[in-house]
Amino acid sequence: MAKAFGIITSSVDQKVEGLQEYRPIGAISFMGRYRVIDFPISNLSNSGIINIQVYISSKPRSLAAHIGTGRHYNINSKRGRIQLLFPTEQKLNAVYNTNINALYENMDYIKMQHQEYVVIVPSCMIFTQDLNELLQDHAASGADITVLYHKVTDAKEGYSTCNEIALDGNRVKSITPFLEDTETENISMETYVMKKDLLLKLIADAKATSSMYTLANIINAETDKLDIRAVEHKGVFAPLTSLDSYFKASMAMLDKACAADLFSPDWPIYTRTSDSAPTRYLAGSCVKNSYISNGAVIEGTVENSIIARGVKIGKGAVVKNSIVMAYDTVGEGAVLDGQVVDKYATIRPGTKVVAPAGQVGYIRHSDVL
Amino acid sequence: MKQNEMLAMILAGGRGSRLLALTDKVAKPAVSYGGKYRIVDFPLSNCANSGVDVVGVLTQYESVLLNSYVAKGGLWGLDTKDSGVFVLTPREKADAGLDVYRGTADAITQNIDFIDTYDPKYLLVLSGDHIYKMNYDKMLQVHKAQGAAATIAVMPVSLEEATRFGIMITDENDRIIDFEEKPAHPRSTLASMGIYIFDWKKLRKILVEDKDDPNSAHDFGKTIIPTLLNGGEKLVAWRFEGYWKDVGTIDSLWEANMDLLTDNNDLQLDDPTWKIYTEDATVLPAFIGPNAEVDTAYITQGASVEGTVKHSVIFTGAVIEEGAKVIDSVLMPGVTVKAGAVVTRALVADGVTIGEGAVVGSADSKAITLQAQDV
Repeated sequence: MAKAFGIITSSVDQKVEGLQEYRPIGAISFMGRYRVIDFPISNLSNSGIINIQVYISSKPRSLAAHIGTGRHYNINSKRGRIQLLFPTEQKLNAVYNTNINALYENMDYIKMQHQEYVVIVPSCMIFTQDLNELLQDHAASGADITVLYHKVTDAKEGYSTCNEIALDGNRVKSITPFLEDTETENISMETYVMKKDLLLKLIADAKATSSMYTLANIINAETDKLDIRAVEHKGVFAPLTSLDSYFKASMAMLDKACAADLFSPDWPIYTRTSDSAPTRYLAGSCVKNSYISNGAVIEGTVENSIIARGVKIGKGAVVKNSIVMAYDTVGEGAVLDGQVVDKYATIRPGTKVVAPAGQVGYIRHSDVL
Repeated sequence: MKQNEMLAMILAGGRGSRLLALTDKVAKPAVSYGGKYRIVDFPLSNCANSGVDVVGVLTQYESVLLNSYVAKGGLWGLDTKDSGVFVLTPREKADAGLDVYRGTADAITQNIDFIDTYDPKYLLVLSGDHIYKMNYDKMLQVHKAQGAAATIAVMPVSLEEATRFGIMITDENDRIIDFEEKPAHPRSTLASMGIYIFDWKKLRKILVEDKDDPNSAHDFGKTIIPTLLNGGEKLVAWRFEGYWKDVGTIDSLWEANMDLLTDNNDLQLDDPTWKIYTEDATVLPAFIGPNAEVDTAYITQGASVEGTVKHSVIFTGAVIEEGAKVIDSVLMPGVTVKAGAVVTRALVADGVTIGEGAVVGSADSKAITLQAQDV
């Protein structure tokens, strides 16, 4: 067991249009059977960090139900635990809903943790990372804070609500909001390792400086006083900052090499099972280049798509380049192209919903079209 | 939930030798079925769904995998404060030497101490190797209403099949008046499903008496049921309707898998009100490749299909490479079919690799080919 506890911060700035109206980003379905939060929790669990705080700032139902006791994340319920914390959402003005505010409201519960270090990870980014290795290297380096970053060469799209890191060697010079000024940027993965006591000090300092301060803001303000170092992450990295970035991150998994990188047998991504039966492919079905979850019944055509649990795709229906979420029904002869269909929706027979090339359409939760 | 009045004991000690190499290393109840299940998931899930909270599993033959599997009671939700799945293997006792279970009834007799700790009113005795969904609580209600000493689940079979079963002869009120084990000329077509509810006090007394009888087969069908009948006890047949299969042979195991391909099959594994629970594999959903062809198939998560699958059942983690063909077959967990290989009317055992261009089985063969080794 590692000498750190984990904090999973809730998303505040990111807006995955449509989907996020119903649940926090952490609870959004990914690859038909996972939820985004499965990645940070599995990263912590696989790293031996099994005392975990999950901050949920709004619409907690689906996330709380999915995480439950945490047993399915391989977390020993006696030695470790997952604690769900519910900071109060400030309705008066959204500027108050910072990750610092969430931590500040729960400072007593941060103080109570026995571990010397804390590893902070976001709930709205998909990647795998050995966090114990990061922790060990951090402790050995003598740095005050270690930050994880990903170097991107396509810094024009999908990073709008991220922070970028300016480096001097491996020293962090600044952490500032992302600007589309150059193609190559070091995107902050909002993943930090530090001592618990330093985190407590930063929370108090941030609060004293500005109620709008985020964790990135206060760390940026300390770059000349503290030894803050950056470690580069390699592999799949997908910050979910918009519906478009969510769609692209999902579709990228249809590339076998990409999927193999994110889903390695020695770094399992755990999730809650729904105990669905296997999927039935009926006579006349035609499925190509797609991920199909259990509990589905497929009678139509599916291409370049991700089909979640319990989906029914009727005879003659055509689903292309789409993400069809759990318990959706696509009626006979219906056509979907370039769509993200939220859960429990019904596409009536013969309905055609086709997004213009290069765009993504969103179909609402429980909607009937 | 307070401990209920009926405790279940699952007989899971048999080898299932007609399943050939499939049961060389694992007991029959642990054999895989239906893409993601093991056979023993069925009685265990039925118990959980029927509100039977305490389940003893009697194991004996090649039970390492079976014991460790059923010990995870949480898989079926049977890990609450007052519920549990308990592995009961033959053990050495102070008043008796170490002895294997000498028969189905002896397996219960040797665990009377376990059952007594729960002091149940009724004992449900099940077989660990049948595929079916049954509400044991409904059966218990009939048992109570009839005031029976024992209730036996039966299902109608054809006259021809009746010669392979224990057959119950009943009166118009479903009271069993006679019983015949595998009769050459059946007088009834009501076959025993090997599912019994007993009044525990009455059964306990008979088991204790039978224990030291050197001529006894210590078997429910051969010994206990006839003893109860001859003693004038009330035995009742409870008619079950629905899917039930004892997968004794490779052909019948293959057939039971193929049954899942027919629309509206009676087993209805996707009924959300009566789920069959099993160990969840930490795997991606099934991947169907860009050049794959899938027609009439039952495929579970973790499988990867890049070749052709027709009329087949594909289990967890099975891989079908581009250009490979799988027709009328069952691929068990972790099977790999390499490029250009063709598998027809076959059942491929767990973890087997079918090499490039290999041919397994044939469309013309009457029997199903069991492929239990790499080829």
